[in-house]
Amino acid sequence: MKLRIGALLLAISLFPWTMPAQEKEQGTLIDEVTMYVSPDLTAQKLARATRGRDVPLVMEHTTIGNQAWAHVLVVVDVDRDRETTRQISGWVPAKYVVSNSTPNGDQIIFGEAVDSEQQAEQRGGRKHAAEDAMRLYYRLYEYFPNSPLAGEALWHSADIRWQLEKADVRMRPSSREMDPNLRVPIDDENMKLVMKKFPHTKWSDLAAYDMIDNKLCGSWKGETKCPEKESELYEKYAREHPESPKAAEALFNAAWRQAALVQMYGAQHDKERDKARRKATELAQEAASKAPEASATGGDWKPRAMELIYTLQQGIPTYTAEADHK
Amino acid sequence: MVTHWKILTLPILLALLTATAFSADKERATLIREDSLYASAGANAQKLSPVGRGSDLTILERGNADGQPWVKISMAADQQAQVSKEVTGWLPAKAVITASTPTGDQIVFGQAVDSEHQAEERGGRKGAAQDALRLYSRVPELFPGSPLAPEGMWRAADIRWELGKADFRAGKPPEEKYLQEVIAKFPQSKQADLAAFDLLEEKMCPEWRGQADCPLKESALYEQYAHEHPQSPKAAEALYNAAWRQAALVDIYRIENDNAKSEAARKKATTLAQELQRLSPQSDWKPRAVDLIYKLDKKIPVFSAAVDAGEMK
Repeated sequence: MKLRIGALLLAISLFPWTMPAQEKEQGTLIDEVTMYVSPDLTAQKLARATRGRDVPLVMEHTTIGNQAWAHVLVVVDVDRDRETTRQISGWVPAKYVVSNSTPNGDQIIFGEAVDSEQQAEQRGGRKHAAEDAMRLYYRLYEYFPNSPLAGEALWHSADIRWQLEKADVRMRPSSREMDPNLRVPIDDENMKLVMKKFPHTKWSDLAAYDMIDNKLCGSWKGETKCPEKESELYEKYAREHPESPKAAEALFNAAWRQAALVQMYGAQHDKERDKARRKATELAQEAASKAPEASATGGDWKPRAMELIYTLQQGIPTYTAEADHK
Repeated sequence: MVTHWKILTLPILLALLTATAFSADKERATLIREDSLYASAGANAQKLSPVGRGSDLTILERGNADGQPWVKISMAADQQAQVSKEVTGWLPAKAVITASTPTGDQIVFGQAVDSEHQAEERGGRKGAAQDALRLYSRVPELFPGSPLAPEGMWRAADIRWELGKADFRAGKPPEEKYLQEVIAKFPQSKQADLAAFDLLEEKMCPEWRGQADCPLKESALYEQYAHEHPQSPKAAEALYNAAWRQAALVDIYRIENDNAKSEAARKKATTLAQELQRLSPQSDWKPRAVDLIYKLDKKIPVFSAAVDAGEMK
């Protein structure tokens, strides 16, 4: 018996990392906080930790005066550009730590993430609010994997990262290359994670839609192969993800590219031109039938598709050099 | 004498009636692609001036040239469209949409949406926001019975409001009348609710300067809106804004050492956030309300933190 207890204690001390993740208190910070050497506002300051930082371990809790403190391990940036991090331990006021043991912790983190996302979109909003939102959403998925908000949170986190990288890629000269293989692709690791962890959901449909970006030409340079390929990509997406919130938009994009081909083929290739016109009309009709009525919150794809059909019927040009990157 | 008067007035009345009937017969129209106004029908004719998308046109005559239909139009003076006086001329008919164009409402609305997207895009078409404004305006004018008419009128008013706000920063207040027209023309509609929400902005303080008066007044305005427009797509946002301002008051009163008022504001903020939780179980406003309740419960500053970070919700 003694041997058994001794072996058990030894096993626990040797393999603490084998403990199930749920048993460890883990979480994130919902505000920017100062970390202290000891649980005291006058103690030596260690670092500032921002919203959404990973708190892989809450080591202990204490209350001094009326103030509750948490002794935490926090992952902070060393070099933001190189994305290098390190872990530091210190004390923070416990109220800023939302962990897997906080009641409604998932909702609190999600609410703070939405707030940060709105800040990022606002003129004069908080600096680095988009990154805060990205981290907060990810933490929700990481530490509340069974929350009904987990799928949506992972998708939002992946989408923010995607949009930030996309903006970065667009600044580079290679972004105007016709061949998408000639530019650095946007990192799709998190998008793939969304599709793997939450397959056949709205979130995986949205992730798949974003990922089309990596396959689009930087510019068409007046050549037909780009709109041909892109139209195929969008149509394929619409067929493979018929329930996606992006299905009508994908059909419209496919139709719009076919409409552009009508002009690009011109009178010299009337057979291809007529084929493109028919295809564009069919796709636009499908987009119109699939899309809900115009509304402030829903898409406006029905009237846009109707307008495209009219312009095709009347021979009104839709593609101009200025719209090359559409 | 009486007979003479009757004989004299009869032609005048007839002339007046004819003129009225003529103006009623005139077909109004708009344009979904910019084009040039020509002195006569035909692409080789002299170009008079550019005509923008969404221009307010009246069709005077129809004709054919170069194997395609043309229309003679008159274009009313329009400051937004940079037309200083009424002009007449010819346009190719294919991009001209009239009330009798099948699905014309959808076509004009679709082009308005496209222009609005252009306006939002980096490197989008110049003047696209104004194009969208004019095109949306034409939807209720040309197609008053269309299901898109309220949405068109609201979006036109909203774009005008947003553009007006940009001017306001340059010292010119935005005009309320277009939003008021949406409310008057489509009362109890979603669009009227949205217009009323926009109008609240006019009543907000430009700056709080740490004083309680502004958040107190603004919270009451948002709460009133939420209760008067419970079906509005903005009802949840209004409740959140009301709750957030009460949460800010908790901090402002605390700084002023008025603990009783601070505590009352905390209770009010919590009640409003709880109401929001109940009303919006499926939207993003629910977790935002839960987050606010957590901060109120844990006494995490909302307003002073915002000031420190240089932000203002």
